[in-house]
Amino acid sequence: MNSISKPTRREFLHRASGGFGALALAGLWDEVQAAAADPLAPRKGHFPAKADRVIFLYSTGGVSHVDTFDHKPQLTRDHGKSITASRWLNKPGKFDRFLIKSRWAFKPYGQSGIMVSDLFPHVGSVIDDICVLNAMHCDSDGHDKATLAAHTGSAQSTRPSAGAWISYGLGTENRNLPSFMVLAPAAPYAGAQTWGSDFLPACHQGTHVVPGKEPLPNLKPNAPDTELQAMELAFLGKLNRNHLEQRAADQALDARIRSFETAFGMQREAPEAFDLSGESDATLKLYGLTRGATSGFGWQCLVARRLAERGVRFLELIDVGSSANWDSHGNMADHERLAKAIDQPIAGLLTDLKQRGMLERTLVVWTSEFGRTPFHQQANHLGREHHNLCFSSWMAGGGVQGGLVHGQSDEHGILPAEDTVHTHDLHATMLHLLGLDHERLTYRYAGRDFRLTDIAGEVVHPIIA
Amino acid sequence: MPSTFPYRKAAGLVLCWSAMAHAASAVGEVALFEAKIRPLLIEQCQKCHGEKKQENGLRLDSKAGWQKGGDHGAVIKPGDVENSLLIKAVRRTDKELQMPPKHVLETEEIAALEQWVRMGAPDPREGNAVSNVVDVVAARKHWAFQPVAHPQPPTLAGNAQQPLDRFVLAKLQQQGLQPNGPADRRTLIRRATFDLTGLPPTPTEIDAFLHDTSPNAFGHLVDRLLASSAYGERWGRHWLDVARYADTAGDGADYPVREAIKYRDWVINAVNADQPFDQFIREQIAGDILAVQGPPEQYASRVTATGFLAIGKRYGYKPSPDYQHLDFADAIDSVGRSLLGLSLGCARCHDHKYDPVTAADYYALYGIFQSTKWAFPGGEEQKRPSQFPPLVMPAEAARLDKIKAAELERLEASLSRLKQQRGALDSKSIAGGPDLDFEAQTIGKRPGAPWFSAGPINVITEAQSPFSHVHPAGTRGVRIGSGKANDGLRYVFASGLRATPGKQMNFTIDFRTVAPADKTGAYRFYLGRGVIQSLAVVVSVTATEIALRNGTKWEVIRKLTPGTWNTLRLTLDPAKKTYSGFVGILGDLTTFQNKPLGAQWDGVIDTFICDAIGHINGQAPERDLDNIGLQEAAFGEPGSGPIVVSAAPPPNLTQQLKKLDADIAAATKLRDAEVTKDLYPVAYGVSEDKPVNVRIQLRGEPDKLGDEVPRRLIDVLGGDKLPASETGSGRLELAHWLTRPSNPLTARVFVNRVWQWHFGQGLVTTPSDFGLRGEPPSHPELLDWLTSEFIASGWSMKSLHRLIMRSQTYQFASEDNTANLKMDPANRWLWRHARSPLDAESIRDAMLAVSGRLDRAVPTSHPFPPVQSWSFTIHKPFHEVYDSDHRSVYLMLQRNRRHPFLAMFDAADPNLSVPQRVLTTTPTQTLYLMNSPFVHQQAEAFARRLLDTPADDEEKVRVAYEMAHGRVPSDPEIQDALSFLSAYQQKLAGLAKPPERSAELAWAGLAHVLLTSNAFLYVD
Repeated sequence: MNSISKPTRREFLHRASGGFGALALAGLWDEVQAAAADPLAPRKGHFPAKADRVIFLYSTGGVSHVDTFDHKPQLTRDHGKSITASRWLNKPGKFDRFLIKSRWAFKPYGQSGIMVSDLFPHVGSVIDDICVLNAMHCDSDGHDKATLAAHTGSAQSTRPSAGAWISYGLGTENRNLPSFMVLAPAAPYAGAQTWGSDFLPACHQGTHVVPGKEPLPNLKPNAPDTELQAMELAFLGKLNRNHLEQRAADQALDARIRSFETAFGMQREAPEAFDLSGESDATLKLYGLTRGATSGFGWQCLVARRLAERGVRFLELIDVGSSANWDSHGNMADHERLAKAIDQPIAGLLTDLKQRGMLERTLVVWTSEFGRTPFHQQANHLGREHHNLCFSSWMAGGGVQGGLVHGQSDEHGILPAEDTVHTHDLHATMLHLLGLDHERLTYRYAGRDFRLTDIAGEVVHPIIA
Repeated sequence: MPSTFPYRKAAGLVLCWSAMAHAASAVGEVALFEAKIRPLLIEQCQKCHGEKKQENGLRLDSKAGWQKGGDHGAVIKPGDVENSLLIKAVRRTDKELQMPPKHVLETEEIAALEQWVRMGAPDPREGNAVSNVVDVVAARKHWAFQPVAHPQPPTLAGNAQQPLDRFVLAKLQQQGLQPNGPADRRTLIRRATFDLTGLPPTPTEIDAFLHDTSPNAFGHLVDRLLASSAYGERWGRHWLDVARYADTAGDGADYPVREAIKYRDWVINAVNADQPFDQFIREQIAGDILAVQGPPEQYASRVTATGFLAIGKRYGYKPSPDYQHLDFADAIDSVGRSLLGLSLGCARCHDHKYDPVTAADYYALYGIFQSTKWAFPGGEEQKRPSQFPPLVMPAEAARLDKIKAAELERLEASLSRLKQQRGALDSKSIAGGPDLDFEAQTIGKRPGAPWFSAGPINVITEAQSPFSHVHPAGTRGVRIGSGKANDGLRYVFASGLRATPGKQMNFTIDFRTVAPADKTGAYRFYLGRGVIQSLAVVVSVTATEIALRNGTKWEVIRKLTPGTWNTLRLTLDPAKKTYSGFVGILGDLTTFQNKPLGAQWDGVIDTFICDAIGHINGQAPERDLDNIGLQEAAFGEPGSGPIVVSAAPPPNLTQQLKKLDADIAAATKLRDAEVTKDLYPVAYGVSEDKPVNVRIQLRGEPDKLGDEVPRRLIDVLGGDKLPASETGSGRLELAHWLTRPSNPLTARVFVNRVWQWHFGQGLVTTPSDFGLRGEPPSHPELLDWLTSEFIASGWSMKSLHRLIMRSQTYQFASEDNTANLKMDPANRWLWRHARSPLDAESIRDAMLAVSGRLDRAVPTSHPFPPVQSWSFTIHKPFHEVYDSDHRSVYLMLQRNRRHPFLAMFDAADPNLSVPQRVLTTTPTQTLYLMNSPFVHQQAEAFARRLLDTPADDEEKVRVAYEMAHGRVPSDPEIQDALSFLSAYQQKLAGLAKPPERSAELAWAGLAHVLLTSNAFLYVD
């Protein structure tokens, strides 16, 4: 069991009625009918789910796998040796390259003894809750396309984001908040397309929350006084009810009336969710947060937990935008700064979710668009290049077995050796854990039934607890 | 992984099969197949190579399947194990071909497959290698491919309804539905005004309509609305949804496209002018070709029309064939869905599974677009737009181009004359200055500015080169002691060289490896722009050899003796993208010719580097460098010279140089201004290129090619081929094929769109899919009748509006009818005029209109930053939101980061051709209505407008309702509003700090309510 309170619609109406009285005529609506017409009403999946929600942690730019979660002692031993790669940047051919070792040491962590580099000591400390995927691969070596692929399953055309698909498939439990929220200081490559709903109804698109003093726009009442706003809403309610009396059968009108209740609720509930003043010092410390902070990945992680508690279906957390990110072509030293920014917050989030009994039903996924080459054109070069042929991601909670490494790369981390997981497979597995069959979650568009996983994807069963 | 695997348990069997293979009988063969091979194929292969999927075009679920093979040809050669691709794949000896993709087969399984192939691959599975090719002949019978008929409207008892209504009423009668009566006049004028202009009617307009007693009052209203410029702004926007219009290019860096608005305005003007729709289409497909045919005054507008093709989401960092297939995919898909109502896009990777569109059809059209030159909007690598078609006639463009070229040449010549003068005057300019200032460096110290250095490095007398054919004999050189990769020396030339037509670039350096050399690594000389930003040449040297970089390989060109000074000469020919030169000692020079310059080199040389990243790994030896030089003129040959510098400079040298420097700066500015000068207006469109046919790209991958297909129309529409005499791309023919009256789709699809934009849903509810998977029309006869009327009217959109809007059907009231609702809740049979929500643009425009702040002028440009400053990358993409009070159709629409208001209220996503807006109701929208500054500004402006109205409060309320909702409030409603106002003011007065403008605030409160109420947001 988890501690999430799910306000029922009736409870919520009751609460909202305190806000502007006359509008909340609970008897006015037939809930069943409303739910049928409401694309965001909570729905059951295709089969019993192991997870209720997803927190998708995304590191922009391409995180080097051999410097983080894919320990390659042979790469260290063969440092400086030249090899001939048969593919590079997706081009077949013969490429003479020099192997480059990781500059970070790896240590075993937890009961499982999984090796994690010194870049992620905090994540290492919770490794027994994590299933590391070390033979990930995707089809594109460019940021733009690979970022789209990681989010939408399609590198070439814009398609709905995974969060939009899941919102479409399952609806949401709390109508005072959007079903799919993206906490990101800046958009990654490909911009807002990464959380777009594309051909799915627009209510499933991600709502972008920008860390800072006003994370969501238009939450602050603009009326001179909240009571005046309540007066306006009460009068508006009266006008709308008169209007509806002659058009009683129109659910769209009704939906707009209800949306004012929701928005009014959100006006109160969303700032509450973003307000960390009630969190204990111990909790703040867990996330590496100083009191009063309104940004940083720690803030994003803690707010994500609070939004998850409030029933948001899909939360995506992006650490950096399309510049100054993990794209360490010049010098891998960049990885240190970027890892430091997310390491403790992520470990804090997993620990916090676990101690609140939420981890069991919350699927946490961490990934980047691709990894980085274990080799370079120049011996001793300080940087690494894009590598989509093999990289690392991980999953935790939500029905995934912890303390497990699934998938292995070859001795140098260049190509997957066994138990490969494609981005499509990752998506299929996410849907599966939420009780959705990735082959049955379809939407008819342009004469074709589209899926998140296109025409591919296999659920990675061995990692499911 | 399969959990049950019955045959795996029987692994031991395989040995038996191997043992008895030599005695295999027919029965034994089949037994092997049944026991091992069939289950293996089913378990391991057929998921991707079977009925559902055919990866690589291969099926393994029948004998014919593997016989036919896939993209790589037949996969089994019966009897020939070594040459069967299937065996190669499961053995995983080839890194490119490893099957199954996720795991290695058991050794016994591989052995069984080998055994089976060796036996001759006996396979009892008969049947076809079922291909998914659609039967074009059968599919032709689909309703949408039938010629457009002109059906007689049904005869109905007693009434003299218009033909359109008779089609509708007949269906209603059949369904037992009772149509609503006509809507009242206030409803009608609000409906028609929003429908045709996207704006609310003003009280004056309402009044005029209410008092028009003529029998054709509504007809007059429609005519007035069709004649207003707001009509084109509204209906042009509908087309821009379909045309996936945006003001930016759409790839990662999302470059702004300044000329996009020309296409937008062309659409709006064409709609306002009621340009015949067939011509409207022809110009968008082949306007550039039609433009040449005249008349001259339409040249610019026709070229602009081809923006339809260019305006989609664009891919690629520079104009390059690498990403073209994606640009073309967008263009083909858009032509298919927007004009024909067919998903041609699916055929990019395979023959369409449901519609009669084959990959050959797709690549026939692809050839047409490949034969077309596309404006390049700018991208990460080439940051400037190029290939934008001129909006002046070709002869005029050529004339202006020629003038510009001549002017550029003149400016370049004068610039180079000045540089020569300066060079002659200033001995320091020889080859970048005598010895690049080595002689000015202090002996025994590291070289100081303008040199940069890292690691142990010293200016010493021992490092003086014996050569003196480039610089005067000196007294010192530089010794680089470090062998570390990134240590070394860098020099940035004060006046770098830029590739200039007809000019060469010469570089020289003397060097020796200090003997004895126990270090075996290489050091290198880099020449190019910046610190490895753009590489022209790299030369790598060890103690014993020197190598040139040749593409991805190193080419050793000469052995060297340690301790010996060598001189190296490079002569770059930027036009040929090659360099030549020599290296060696006096009397023994090794020459080299026509080596490739760096493929990505941008034509600038301003930096020389010597570090230790060369063709051989390891510590680089100590080396001496001297006599570095760079210039356009040739150097003296080794052994010539020695060069001597004149001792006494002219007396007024400094002044002369100063003047020359100023002249050079002025001439450079003039030259640069000329380079960026816009000679003539251009459009974001297409033009003709070299005509080619293309080969089918298997699975849509450009490097896997199948058969060539000639450019032609898709088969199901006739498959017409280009005439043999055709010398162009074929776009003109395509334009004609698309709009010929016998084409059953183009007109039907458009008429259905117009119907949908009037009624909220089309007669065909899948407006961009008229294919076999699309929905059939609810009123097929009506659709055909309207289409034939439309064609007969000369494809006039305005006539079509009149035909539709003057009907009773259009004018039905929208009110509920319980019985009808039960039978036909979706109003498929048109018993009422469906109520519709305002779309994003209408909400914003109507608020601005009511508040009085709407600026009806047409803005002429977006405030983009100047093109000279563009340096957007996927890391730092273009992103702006420009506010204005113009109509929303004129807002700057970014493709990658959508306009926040328009995205929130479900405006068209410009990444796709949008046939229909799916309007949602979300709490974030409502928060916007409740709290956004924009809505509050409009409410306040509306309040001030009301307060300025010379009337009492009661009348003001009446005006307010009429302006916002188009209706007059009842007396109780007026009383309600007045009590709201007074309560509001009372509340304000009770605040701790009562505001001064309490009346205005109270009226703003009322205005806010009116502007966000359903009576405002919906149209009956």
